[in-house]
Amino acid sequence: MDTQPPSSENREDPSVPEGAVTEPVSPVIPTAEASLYRSESLWTKSIRKFARDPMGIAALVIVSVFFVIACGVWAGWIGQNWSALQADGYTGMSREHWFGTNINGQDIYARTIQGTKTAFEVGLIVAVLSTVIGGILGAVAGYFDRTIVDEVIMWLYGCLDAIPFYLFVAAVAFALRDQPYAMHVAMIATFWSSTCRIVRGEVIKINSLEYVQAAKALGVGSMTIIFRHVIPNTFHILLVQGTIAFVSAIKSEVILTYLGLGVKHGVSWGTMLSESTFEVSAGIFNNFIAASSFLFLLVIAFNLFADALQDALDPKKVTAS
Amino acid sequence: METLQFAFRKILYAIPLLFGVTLISFLLMVYFGPDLTYSLIGKNPTSEQIVEVRTQLGYDQPFFIRYGMFLKEIVTFDFGNSLSTGERVSSILLRTVPVSFAVALPGFVISELLALALALIAANNRGGFVDKGIMVFAVVGMSISFLIVVIIFQIVFCSVYGLNLFPVQGWVVSNVADYIHYVAVPTMVIVFVGLGYNTRFFRAVIVEELNRDYVRTARAYGVSRFRILSAHILKNAMIPISTRVIISLPFVVIAGNLVIERYFNIPGVGLITYNAITTGDLPIVKAVVTSTAILYVIALVFTDIVYRMIDPRVALNS
Repeated sequence: MDTQPPSSENREDPSVPEGAVTEPVSPVIPTAEASLYRSESLWTKSIRKFARDPMGIAALVIVSVFFVIACGVWAGWIGQNWSALQADGYTGMSREHWFGTNINGQDIYARTIQGTKTAFEVGLIVAVLSTVIGGILGAVAGYFDRTIVDEVIMWLYGCLDAIPFYLFVAAVAFALRDQPYAMHVAMIATFWSSTCRIVRGEVIKINSLEYVQAAKALGVGSMTIIFRHVIPNTFHILLVQGTIAFVSAIKSEVILTYLGLGVKHGVSWGTMLSESTFEVSAGIFNNFIAASSFLFLLVIAFNLFADALQDALDPKKVTAS
Repeated sequence: METLQFAFRKILYAIPLLFGVTLISFLLMVYFGPDLTYSLIGKNPTSEQIVEVRTQLGYDQPFFIRYGMFLKEIVTFDFGNSLSTGERVSSILLRTVPVSFAVALPGFVISELLALALALIAANNRGGFVDKGIMVFAVVGMSISFLIVVIIFQIVFCSVYGLNLFPVQGWVVSNVADYIHYVAVPTMVIVFVGLGYNTRFFRAVIVEELNRDYVRTARAYGVSRFRILSAHILKNAMIPISTRVIISLPFVVIAGNLVIERYFNIPGVGLITYNAITTGDLPIVKAVVTSTAILYVIALVFTDIVYRMIDPRVALNS
């Protein structure tokens, strides 16, 4: 996937411009003539490449459907009745309750939909913040390579990596007492380190490129170089790292909630699966099937999306074509 | 001699790391952690008793003294007594670590070996049908939550809705047959959960090696495909692979078991830690977190030194 022989998909055929290639995603129309002198940016090329990847498109569609559901919940259109006691416990599937009800007689369908919102909330908060922190610290560490700043940042992520994740969350929960955001804080505090490591490596390479050298020679300030010239050139890494952090956050939420460290107010797929652990031995699978199928579908779609994104954005592959 | 110097430098580098790890644990769990005064004394304490307990816990001391007390706890491996049972934390750990190890080890070993085998097969058939099949399986495996795997395996193997072959939970082990009986399902879960990630990682490492010049040279000399894979590539891929294996060991023994030990009710470190988290039993959580983190740092240094001994090309700075 990540390192296939260049022959299979990298070699673009400029003489076949029809179909998916000329869809609105591609501002450059690759006629045979233009392709000779084409100077595309990484982004337009990546988008064109992504548009040709059926797996990636399918994954993106699924993720978008989930996102629309989450937006529907935010807007207050669907899944609002998740906590009301509506019927007897454990009624089977019916027209009123599509997935049946749980032990308290709450509608499982509404809870699953509401859980989609919770998943996106956790995923987006953690992915955005951890990627921003990791990106900035990674760029600063890479730019000031082999100085005390670099050492301190490396030391920091070295320490955080040494503490096992679930236990770190427990420790943060101890420090933050009953704060509902202890889980988010702990995830952000640990997830930024992998982004930081990768960005740092990339920035060390970028440092020696001419445009950075030129900016330095012109006397541009360090922070300006980092934020205007260096970080924009790591966006392709940040995008991929963000999707990976999103998936990890959703998956960790389920485990942490099961361990009593995660979502405490509201409902998530984690709380539904935790409920279901007491039910499956009695042969009641409604909660389990509803939550696990939604979770699995979203996570696998996101994983495939991240893979396709990585393939499309890999600059080595772009230059190879 | 140079190796010795290398080892010394590496150990020196580990000191700031150890300092940071203990500092983070101290800040989160002791300095900003919960006040234990009222967990330690009985009902209706007199104000002298309160002062006495607070002095004993060191709450009246300044920051650095308290950090020093924390370090002393670690060095002497004396984390005090459990708040809920009153048992010494160190003896709890000594009792539960072997259980966790017995539960985790078979799954860990099988998972790594199986993943390596699958990765070799996939890399050898790169781009082909077998490769795609294995990678699809890996992505599916990565996408199923740990908790879902545990629940499904328990339904399939332990419940009346499935095969009902193994005990639903518990750990009553006195001989090898018992051991296999109780460890079978947790092992299958561990293998399945680790397989996806490991296969992908190992395959990426092997494919990277496949693209190197020495492989082309060997092929040009007519060395067989199997020999290139087994003798040359595996040897070179061993460094990233074994790093991953060794540094995940401390996590596997303690952290990875939280879910399994809770779900199967196995009295290992994971279950003890879970109970400690839910009841707020700080000394146990503190002991488990810091000792795992320190073990991790030691494993890191250990791998670096071993590599240097195996492969002198490993430079000090890389």
